[in-house]
Amino acid sequence: MSTVRLAAVTKHYGQTVAVEEFDLDVADGELVTLLGPSGCGKTTTLRMIAGLIEPTNGRIFFDAEDVTDLPPRKRNIGFVFQTPALFPHLSVADNIGFGLSVKGRKKDAIAARVEEMLALVGLAGYGPRLPAQMSGGQQQRVALARVLATDPRVLLFDEPLSALDRNLRDTLKYSILDLQRRTAKTAIYVTHDQSEAFAISDRIVVMNAGRVEQIGSQTDIYLRPRTGFVAEFIGANNALRGTVAAVESSDATADPAAREHRFLVTSGELSLHCRSRLPATVGDAVVAYLRPEELAVVEDGDETAYRNVVEGDIERVIFEGPTAQLRVRVADRELRVDVGGSRRLTLSEGRGRVRLGFNDLNVIPAEAAVRVHPDEVPA
Amino acid sequence: MSAAGSTTATAAPRSARRRGPSPRRLVDIVSHGYIWLCLFVFVTPFAALLGYSLTGPGGTYAIQNFQYVLGSFGENLFWSFRVSALTLIIDLLAALPAAYAIVRYPFPGKRAIFSALTLPLYVPGAVIGLSLLLTYNFTYHLTTSIWGLVLAMAVGTFPLMLSPIVVALKDLPLVFEEASECLGATRWQTFRKIVFPLIGPGVSAGLMLSFIIVFNEYLVTLFVHPSDITTAPLRVFNLVRTAGLAPTTAALAVTMQLISFAAVLLFFRVFGTRYLKGTYLL
Repeated sequence: MSTVRLAAVTKHYGQTVAVEEFDLDVADGELVTLLGPSGCGKTTTLRMIAGLIEPTNGRIFFDAEDVTDLPPRKRNIGFVFQTPALFPHLSVADNIGFGLSVKGRKKDAIAARVEEMLALVGLAGYGPRLPAQMSGGQQQRVALARVLATDPRVLLFDEPLSALDRNLRDTLKYSILDLQRRTAKTAIYVTHDQSEAFAISDRIVVMNAGRVEQIGSQTDIYLRPRTGFVAEFIGANNALRGTVAAVESSDATADPAAREHRFLVTSGELSLHCRSRLPATVGDAVVAYLRPEELAVVEDGDETAYRNVVEGDIERVIFEGPTAQLRVRVADRELRVDVGGSRRLTLSEGRGRVRLGFNDLNVIPAEAAVRVHPDEVPA
Repeated sequence: MSAAGSTTATAAPRSARRRGPSPRRLVDIVSHGYIWLCLFVFVTPFAALLGYSLTGPGGTYAIQNFQYVLGSFGENLFWSFRVSALTLIIDLLAALPAAYAIVRYPFPGKRAIFSALTLPLYVPGAVIGLSLLLTYNFTYHLTTSIWGLVLAMAVGTFPLMLSPIVVALKDLPLVFEEASECLGATRWQTFRKIVFPLIGPGVSAGLMLSFIIVFNEYLVTLFVHPSDITTAPLRVFNLVRTAGLAPTTAALAVTMQLISFAAVLLFFRVFGTRYLKGTYLL
């Protein structure tokens, strides 16, 4: 158990920037996820924390101890790889006991710890088997038991579920969360899968092109994206470019991060009520983001429930089961609207005009909305 | 041989049902003929040698020839074994760190160095023998001990030991070493407990190839052997040159052949399936 602190950690490969000035504080017992597209530097960061890669610059601390120059074996970490990476020539029990045996622990003490770990991951009795005689999910659980056996200060996960099939991923991600909670280990978890990150994290770090885009809770990241990258990487989003026409209110809460500013933004022919954590003045270029599920089809008389109501034509209806996706042309732009699957019956293409209602949009300054597309990031 | 025989047995009834010789049947006949021709060409000399080694005085059958091998030629076989064992030890101790460096670490001139290390594979034995004789004689004065011979053998067989280990290491994902290191193992513990067992098939392939070459090496031995050491292949050649071909000499040759076969069989018995599958995973 330990806190982890990264201070301006940087990794360059020649001219290529893999990670730039990465700052992060992880509290004792916290599970923080590094989330981002492939090539964003999340795995590089994790490997630097493990000591498998040496940072070009910056320091890494476990509690108050500077571990930057220590090799992995002296950091007392538990690293779970993408593949289980069980030693194929050793039995499951010998794999779990490996970390203790290289530290010279007594045989009976190791055997007792191995039994304890096997029970912890629900594989009691599997000790004598070879890894090849177990399924992928069982192997990854053995890999978990193997890192927990040494009682590490920090657990590091490098996309541990990406090699498994979908059903297994769902059950195993809760097993990981459960084990992390029960052992109260500080954990850093790397993934490119948004639902995985949302399901298990205390906090999420969204990364892009070697930099931190935003650090926050699930609701912060989803409902209050601070950059265009976060707004578009996490789930689907409608983006509306516009200009601040009026400042409606600016509250003066002491904590600047919690302040709410309200604006009226014009976007083409539309005039929209918006909000933001960031201040803006009249004439600023902004981008307003609107989640497809935040839009509702308005029946007569419902208008008062929404701060914004616009009219548009339904261009397409795509039935997806639990939800139906509408493409609605509003003024000169197309908005994606997600409605409950049953609503599809009353809505059809070319039916004519519908009215869409929604509350304040989240806006960010236009310069923060300029994003590096995931495909443009050098691998 | 048995494999070729069983193929014929299963193919024959199926093609017999057809009327007239089809093109496929012709190909069958030609290819089977080719296999038998190859067997004849390659096996006949060894069969003749085996027959001759069992011939007693006056053309009688004589197992005594082999008892004579253990008596009179025992010393020669013993030298061959000793030279082989020492060579394999030196080869292995040099090849393991070399292979590890070549596969796991970037360094300038890596390709050139690897090519230079495998050079003895393409240099004629006589050239190796002569150059080693010059080097050892004038530089190290080594030709009077077994070590000159052992070093010469090690130089010649080093690439045979190195290449399979390099291939095995290249096939071994780095993640096993990383996992071991993260679990607290030192580099030496990681090598001894994880890397070495997992490249076992490559190491044993190197050992087998080198053993067969060293055990049977004649040409290089001729150049660098000290006068009091006569290995088995050298003895065979000396006897044929001075006393003509005797059945006892043939018996020594057959014995050497059988030892080489035994090495190959042992290798495939211990590592065969794993090595042929190309994987260290069971």
